[in-house]
Amino acid sequence: MKSVLKALKILFFACTGLYLVLFLVFWFDLDGKALFYGVEPFLKNHYDKMKRKDPLEKVYKTDTPNYEYND
Amino acid sequence: MSKKTNLLKKAKKAVSVFWNGKPHEERRLGDLYLDKTGLYKHREWRGFKDTMYYFNMIWLYNYGNMVGDIVKYGGGLKALPLFLKGVWRYRWLGQTYLPVMHWYDRGLEGMRGQALRASAWHYRAMTSETIRQFMRMLAADQRLGGSKELYDRTPAHDETVWGGIFYPWRDRMDDVPLQMIPYFVTCHVNNHTVLNYIDAAQSIGLPGDPCPMCQAECGIFLQDDVPEYYPFVVTSNEACDGSVGTSVIQDWMMDRPLFAMPQPMQFDDPLVQEHCAKEIEECWKFIEEQSGMPMNMEELKKNLEEQNELQRFEWEKWEVAANTDYYPINGVAQALYRIYQSQDGNRKIWHETDKKVKKILEKCVEKKINSFPMTRHRVIAWSCAPLYYSHWCTWAYNCWGLNCIINMDSLMFNMTIRTDTYENMLKDMALYHEWAPMRRMAVGGMNHIFELWEYMEKFHCDMVMMYDQLQCKGMQGVHGLFEDEFRARDIHAIWMPHALPDKRTVSRSEIRGIINDYMTTIMHEKPLDPTLLEFDDSEGW
Repeated sequence: MKSVLKALKILFFACTGLYLVLFLVFWFDLDGKALFYGVEPFLKNHYDKMKRKDPLEKVYKTDTPNYEYND
Repeated sequence: MSKKTNLLKKAKKAVSVFWNGKPHEERRLGDLYLDKTGLYKHREWRGFKDTMYYFNMIWLYNYGNMVGDIVKYGGGLKALPLFLKGVWRYRWLGQTYLPVMHWYDRGLEGMRGQALRASAWHYRAMTSETIRQFMRMLAADQRLGGSKELYDRTPAHDETVWGGIFYPWRDRMDDVPLQMIPYFVTCHVNNHTVLNYIDAAQSIGLPGDPCPMCQAECGIFLQDDVPEYYPFVVTSNEACDGSVGTSVIQDWMMDRPLFAMPQPMQFDDPLVQEHCAKEIEECWKFIEEQSGMPMNMEELKKNLEEQNELQRFEWEKWEVAANTDYYPINGVAQALYRIYQSQDGNRKIWHETDKKVKKILEKCVEKKINSFPMTRHRVIAWSCAPLYYSHWCTWAYNCWGLNCIINMDSLMFNMTIRTDTYENMLKDMALYHEWAPMRRMAVGGMNHIFELWEYMEKFHCDMVMMYDQLQCKGMQGVHGLFEDEFRARDIHAIWMPHALPDKRTVSRSEIRGIINDYMTTIMHEKPLDPTLLEFDDSEGW
């Protein structure tokens, strides 16, 4: 019984602590700042370096069926 | 004694600010921004109740639900690595999905009470539907090792082909528009993303003067950034000539069976409607042939009737917006939710959201709650809006008391669809299809673009925010006619120049400058919050 109470107490304080930390992240817009200064430049750099197909090498096929359903 | 009184007054004021937040004129929202970025030094204190609501029911709730929706729509926990793969592969996903809470911040800035709640539910619905769509794309994406079975059951269509065309197969297939998420949503959430796609179109030698929407949609394909999730596609002319050019390039890049179903300009002509109805039937034959699945007429009817329910509630909303001061939805939430929902078609999330909003709406009417008490002018926004600054109306209310009651895109699909006979149903479906974004009013002929006057009266608006899409040749053609009409009718109209998704042509700051100039020099009014007059958010999302 005691150990259950102790576990509940720890859980309560852990949840309260997490809640307060999240509130600080929210209040100081830390999520926005992390995304703006860290994540986005990193991802942008990755996307800019990605190898992409040269679209002009693709042949434009015009022999595909013409879907006409007029009776 | 006077010191004591002063202290008491200060304490009372501090308690009031803590509990209720600052009065509108004392908020100084512009002081919260970090220069250039649009980020906040700290988020806004809206009073205890509303700040807690924002933190718990908007910020935490949506971050949690964003993960939840990925798992829900991606078929369980395996969806999380799939989502990360998608983020790594597709620019529009990685750059856009992550800062989504800032999109909420921008749209809901300064909102309190029921306006905060009702508008946020609209945002939640759009977020959830966006996740549903891109998770379906990823789960069926052959490039990311997606399921072949899902691929076969995921037809694609242009974003301006109404989802309703696919209702007869919604019990077995799930249609996903090609550009709704990679293009349209990205512009609102993170306006940096789309610039890469516009530049990609110009990098192969295409001219830079057509509509940047056409360029961006074309650029997504040229950058090979469209998931391989669909076996066949239904396209339209996206109701403008520039988009016809886009379709050619998309057809080239997609290399898949394609059925084109353009929205005609002369849609009032009964012969044109007959032609369009036939085209829908032809399209259904095409889908049957490609998917190997016959139509389910009961499914079609069921979905149409459910969609009619959505429309009926929209009419209720319009009634309250038009005739009372108790409408709790802000301009940007109204505009984006409505165009998204009416184009996407019947989906569960819209019904769930409408139920929640209906409760709020009824509460506001019953208790006579005015959610926008600082309204000085009731504004109707007309023509196509700047996608990178769709939240201008939030700023305009906070800064000037300009309350954007309704906008053109909300009013496009002003109809229910009859389901009593096959002929009536097809006729109404054809009309709904013809009333596509841009085609219905903007480039739908003189009678329709001038419906402005009728709606202005209906919604009791005293001012027009006239969008001026600089690269839309259709709308540029009627610019002078509008000028004449505004003068003749003695209407206050502010022209808002923009280039749809491209913030480089007219910046947000320039748009604010134009509104500021009009409000000071023509209206001789003073701002409610002077800190919002000028600030630099040029690098912001």
